[in-house]
Amino acid sequence: MLPVEPLQSDSNRQRVRAVTVRTLPMMMVCLLLAVFQVQAADTPTKPAGLISTSPGAELWREVRQRDGDVTGTTQVRSPGADVLVNVSGQAWREYRMEELIPKASVAILIVLVVIVVFRLLRGRIRIEGGRSGLRVLRFTTNQRIAHWATAILFVTLGLTGLTLLLGRNLLIPVFGAEGFSMIAGAAKFLHDYLGPVFMFALVWLFILFVRDNVPSPKIDLQWLLKGGGMFGKHVHAPRYNAGEKLWFWLASIGGLAVIISGLVLDFPIFGQTRATMEFYHWVHSVSAVILIVVSFGHIYMGTAALEGTFEVMQTGYCDSNWAREHHDLWYEEVKDSAEPVPGQQARTRREESTGAA
Amino acid sequence: MARMKFYCDAERCIECNACVTACKNEHDIPWGVNRRRVVTIKDGEQGERSLSVACMHCSDAPCAAVCPVDCFYTTGDGIVLHDKDICIGCGYCFYACPFGAPQFPEASAFSSRGKMDKCTFCAGGPEEDQSSDEYKKYGRNRISEGKLPLCAEMCSTKALLAGDGDVLSDIYRKRVINRGASAFDWGVNFNSTKIQG
Repeated sequence: MLPVEPLQSDSNRQRVRAVTVRTLPMMMVCLLLAVFQVQAADTPTKPAGLISTSPGAELWREVRQRDGDVTGTTQVRSPGADVLVNVSGQAWREYRMEELIPKASVAILIVLVVIVVFRLLRGRIRIEGGRSGLRVLRFTTNQRIAHWATAILFVTLGLTGLTLLLGRNLLIPVFGAEGFSMIAGAAKFLHDYLGPVFMFALVWLFILFVRDNVPSPKIDLQWLLKGGGMFGKHVHAPRYNAGEKLWFWLASIGGLAVIISGLVLDFPIFGQTRATMEFYHWVHSVSAVILIVVSFGHIYMGTAALEGTFEVMQTGYCDSNWAREHHDLWYEEVKDSAEPVPGQQARTRREESTGAA
Repeated sequence: MARMKFYCDAERCIECNACVTACKNEHDIPWGVNRRRVVTIKDGEQGERSLSVACMHCSDAPCAAVCPVDCFYTTGDGIVLHDKDICIGCGYCFYACPFGAPQFPEASAFSSRGKMDKCTFCAGGPEEDQSSDEYKKYGRNRISEGKLPLCAEMCSTKALLAGDGDVLSDIYRKRVINRGASAFDWGVNFNSTKIQG
């Protein structure tokens, strides 16, 4: 049996001290390791508790629509009210201010310069054979009414549209902000209300004119290759030459684009979003500017450029010599229906009669 | 001069819509027109946040840039206002505005737009200050009375702040520091926040 020794014996004390001395460094190392471990565990994980990712990088990324459309919820019931930041607005602003307005202005200026240069080069193009005194029916009354209804609406819509597009730069310096506000208000009113009427006029025009505007590739291509006789001799052409056909189809297709986009813009009551409106404004403005620019060519060719042309859409009749020169293939079909212009005798007969007298 | 600004603190807004109501009441705004609205992102999900938004009175205001009749102007305090006598209600400002601020009452046939209405920072319009004309067209002119916009003045959680941009920045900076937000995007930790005076 082992002798029971008091705990505080000398030998025992020495043993405890020895153990302590030996293990203390190890304990210190362990302690240090533990402390570092705690710190290491703390660093990578987020502290527990009520956490949101703020300063809000994620929230603001959503608000600014960085990763595509994000909509929220709101009590306001208007289209797009649930979008905090509409990013398409900036693109539209840049399109309208930096592309549409400068490019439309330049295009209009260029076409005006081209017309002036053409006028200076060619002057007024006369009927080479002079007036015959015989007339041929070219447009029915129906066709003329449809043409002028469309034309008056087109010019009104074009001018009011350009007023809204360019007026801030061109007209405010002239009329002042308040004066121009009245003009622009009237322009917007006319534009909004006459736009839908233009739709009916254009459809009517299309129905009446489409038959003779069907392309006849061989003749049309020849006409185009010879530049429509712009700088030389007359080119064979049926009832409508390739230039007129191109204008007809451009006006029809461009007109359709303008009408559809215009209706979307005109009635903002079907929940159209801003992106929708911006897209249709783009369609509307591009097609309208193209139509306006080309219409300048059509208007010049139809009025001052050629002798005997404007009266055709005025009266419906053209001079038979005009028809022979400009639309020879058509004239061959209808020359038998030529009749003297009322109130004046055919020049050939008059010459004959004066010669006889 | 002060540069007036709105700031909405997403950590404080509780989507009570009181700013919307106060605005409508103060300026006697008709149905369908909302100068201010509250939008909630991630409604009912983790990370739900609400923001009150109105005209932010931009320095380079897109509405003013695209306006075909040039009816916008910026006051010396940086408040973007417009002249309803010149506005023709075309809606271009609404297309260009990032915040959906411009509003249009339905004016006549086919729901055509009336003259644009938007937040004025409670600063009225070009008419004589505090005239009845000004009130009819633009609502109350609190700025001329030395008061700030009502929406922010009565915000119960002080989420919506309005006033001099420098002062607003200081207030918000203090809030951010108190919340313990760090540059390492640890987030707002309300447990470890020490409330300071």
